[in-house]
Amino acid sequence: MSRSFDAVEIGQELPVASRTVTAVDVKAYADAGGDQNPLHQDDAFARSVGFPGVIAHGMFTMGHMASAVVAWAGDAAAVTRISAQFRAPVFMGEVIEAGGRVKALDPGTRSVTLETWVRLRRDGAVEWPIKKGEAVVRLS
Amino acid sequence: MNPAAEGTVYPDVTFVVDPVRVAAFRQVFGAAAGVPPTFVTAAEFAAFPQVLGDVNLALDFSRVVHGSQDYDFARPIREGETLTVRARIDSIRTKSTNGFLAIVMELLDADGELVCTARSQMIERGAAG
Repeated sequence: MSRSFDAVEIGQELPVASRTVTAVDVKAYADAGGDQNPLHQDDAFARSVGFPGVIAHGMFTMGHMASAVVAWAGDAAAVTRISAQFRAPVFMGEVIEAGGRVKALDPGTRSVTLETWVRLRRDGAVEWPIKKGEAVVRLS
Repeated sequence: MNPAAEGTVYPDVTFVVDPVRVAAFRQVFGAAAGVPPTFVTAAEFAAFPQVLGDVNLALDFSRVVHGSQDYDFARPIREGETLTVRARIDSIRTKSTNGFLAIVMELLDADGELVCTARSQMIERGAAG
């Protein structure tokens, strides 16, 4: 059962969900998701194509964003749309944070549009692996 | 990449929403129940070998990074169901030395009804130097 639409207000924030990105988790993701591109598992390969080391799959980062949305909505089946642009790489050992806020309400379908994001801190600056993600959830 | 490959439609591929695999995917993201929305990526990767192996397209996967992803659900995906994945190349563009490949995949259920439309943009990065 999902969250009730009636209690949702524009501007409401999702709880920020943080996790450390590890090679073990990225390998588990590659096996479950099916993307075995060596860019995400082989440091020497990643360096050969211009990265300082392996990077997480964009879909790993988006999966983390989606899990924050699902946790807030209360039901994976509530998600009717989710999208992301991948703007910055995520390296092993980094801590990614996913969050979002309510942007629009549609009482007709009891749907909520969320603007969502994933950020991290690197060398004292904030990077946005996903800056303008979006999700639509249909609530009860 | 060959820009003339734009519009290519690939043969349908069957994808079973295996509950064991869904559980493994859930575990990666600490999800309690249900099919995570981004699990659709597993269905996309069932059809993706056709794109990778398309000699007419000539995509170099070793230089590919994921630019964007969008999932639009007509209904939630159900564990255990069998889906048909229909992939096509929506557009191919070149900017500087990078190639931009937009792929659309439609997931259809056993009745032929649309379950999800997945749109992805892949970036084939130009060779270093």
